[in-house]
Amino acid sequence: MDIQKALYNDTGYNPERLAALLSPEAQKYLEPMAQKARQITRQRFGNTIQLYAPLYVSNFCVNSCPYCAFNKQSDLPRKRLTIEQACKEADILADDGFRHILIVSGEDTKFVTIPYLVELSQKLREKFSSISIEIYPVSTEDYEKLFAAGIDSIAIYQETYDRQDYAKFHKTGPKADYDWRLETLQRAAQAGFRSLGLGFLIGLSGWQAQTQALAQHADFLTKKYWQSKVSFSFPRLRPAENVDEKLFKYMITDTQLAQMMFALRLCFPDAEIVLSTREKPDFRDNMAQICVTRMSAGSRTNPGGYTQKNESLSQFEIADDRTPAKIVSVLKSKNIEAVWKDWDRAFIK
Amino acid sequence: MDTKSNLSDLSAADDMKDKLIIAGKEFSSRLFIGTGKYASNKIMAQSIEASGTQMVTVALRRVDIQNPQDNMLAAIDRKKYLLLPNTSGARNADEAVRLARLARAATEINWLKLEVTPDPYYLLPDPVETLKAAEILVKEGFVVLPYINADPVLAKKLQDIGTATVMPLASPIGSNQGLKTKAAIEIIIAQATVPVVIDAGLGMPSHAAEAMEMGADAVLINTAIATAGDPVKMAEAFKKAVQAGREAFEAGSSGVKNQADASSPLTGFLRD
Amino acid sequence: MAILKINGEDKIFENSVPSTLKNLLESLKVDEATVVAEVNGQIIPRGNFQNTILRDGHKIELIRFVGGG
Repeated sequence: MDIQKALYNDTGYNPERLAALLSPEAQKYLEPMAQKARQITRQRFGNTIQLYAPLYVSNFCVNSCPYCAFNKQSDLPRKRLTIEQACKEADILADDGFRHILIVSGEDTKFVTIPYLVELSQKLREKFSSISIEIYPVSTEDYEKLFAAGIDSIAIYQETYDRQDYAKFHKTGPKADYDWRLETLQRAAQAGFRSLGLGFLIGLSGWQAQTQALAQHADFLTKKYWQSKVSFSFPRLRPAENVDEKLFKYMITDTQLAQMMFALRLCFPDAEIVLSTREKPDFRDNMAQICVTRMSAGSRTNPGGYTQKNESLSQFEIADDRTPAKIVSVLKSKNIEAVWKDWDRAFIK
Repeated sequence: MDTKSNLSDLSAADDMKDKLIIAGKEFSSRLFIGTGKYASNKIMAQSIEASGTQMVTVALRRVDIQNPQDNMLAAIDRKKYLLLPNTSGARNADEAVRLARLARAATEINWLKLEVTPDPYYLLPDPVETLKAAEILVKEGFVVLPYINADPVLAKKLQDIGTATVMPLASPIGSNQGLKTKAAIEIIIAQATVPVVIDAGLGMPSHAAEAMEMGADAVLINTAIATAGDPVKMAEAFKKAVQAGREAFEAGSSGVKNQADASSPLTGFLRD
Repeated sequence: MAILKINGEDKIFENSVPSTLKNLLESLKVDEATVVAEVNGQIIPRGNFQNTILRDGHKIELIRFVGGG
């Protein structure tokens, strides 16, 4: 498909359109793509960005993903948070102003069980208006329990949609099951989850093919689970302790990442686009003005990291470690309102 | 890309996009014809023939005992044209279901255009009763083609239940006003996982062409042909319009170039 | 005198109602191949018209296909 046609005349998602927008030739059109992405994002989402914070509750894991500092083989010091400890972390986040929280965990099925998450969610519900999870895949019945406990949003990345690459990176452990992972967003949708977060780990496989697969996955979910919203995240491999960078042959540049995000925005005007603190401040601030709708701020990716500011247990190095307050003011200077407070706690006291 | 069965089913669906398939049946014509309002059975039969259609709708009515009339059905060659009984006259789900069962008894086919229109002025379809009836009829094994207002949420709910198509109206029955519901129909088409048939209110061949250019899978025309000065000629015109519109859609227009907003550059920060 | 309610209207028969649905249709000059029939709310398959016994007071619906959109 001609790039001008893909950019100006075609609408919505189809593989040909996306391929044109992801092509090397389309890089000459990056500025008009950005303009169009901004126009669409403004129309759908206004001049607002929603802030959230991750709450890591455990870095124990039964899997051996070579790209992750939490992998079983790593001699990283391990830590798990009790419900009480997790709530103390959450209190700090609530005091910062966050009302959207993302519970993250390694695949620590002995401790971070469904009852644990249910209990944690019920406590978090008192302070947070939206609770999201980024954990290992579970069954529909388990998602229903989580949904009933107040979790209505999920993020889970296929890491790579290429079956062979997937098998290379996930040789053992429950995560070796490609299909169980691929289908889990459907199970969550069936259980009523309103927001379905997709992504792939950028660097494991060729980015254009992965973006095509991601789009096809999103399109499927959008059509079948039409009452749920799709959200795209862009976890890009970053330096981490105990992670061998030579394994990752498909790193991409900032320009390519921007192109990917613009292309997805053009094809999926209503999808949330999330940019976490994995990315540098300059990149985040600029993309915030174009097509991002959700950002994390002040993140700590080590369990207990908010109460003890200690880097050595982190999942990956944070590139943007500005405080939430700083990020709010930077966004404001760019005419973007940070949204994180759905209501004032005083109303319910 | 290799994905699990239901995801790769979606890729398979893309391959089929040039054929019209409803409930497993393939149609080479994307024009369906209604049989009401004709001056005579003969003109009706000739118009049907001229349109190239493969499916015609019929209604059910009580026999007039004082004047048992000619059998209109005899004028329709059931070897060439699939009969699609409609439930016109039904004002609620119960009446529609009853008519559906009568129709199936009469024709021994289980295809049905579900039409529930309590309002006799505009003949607009009742969404609540239509959904209710669709659920019952799908469970009873009918191939249900529901006539609805252009309501995207209703369309999704009907697809979830298992109707074979959705049939949103362009404008009220018989009004010949064309695609008044265009914006909503665009959404329905974008979200659909079953064929979308635009039904009611298409008054001119250009309306039908426009509907097909938008990506509708088929159109259903009755009044515009039956009440034309020369119905047979109008039927031919609609046939050509539907073909033209569909071919334009498949060819993929390059359309009109839009100017991007002039404003300060956004991508200066990408320097690699 | 006997009555059948046919399509919502009472039809009076001098002596007795036609004994079967098939007979009724013949007396009305309605071609049985073109109608769907309901007797007391039950749809009668076409092959059963001659076996369907009618009695005084039965409600009959005779329906056929007509043109429609």
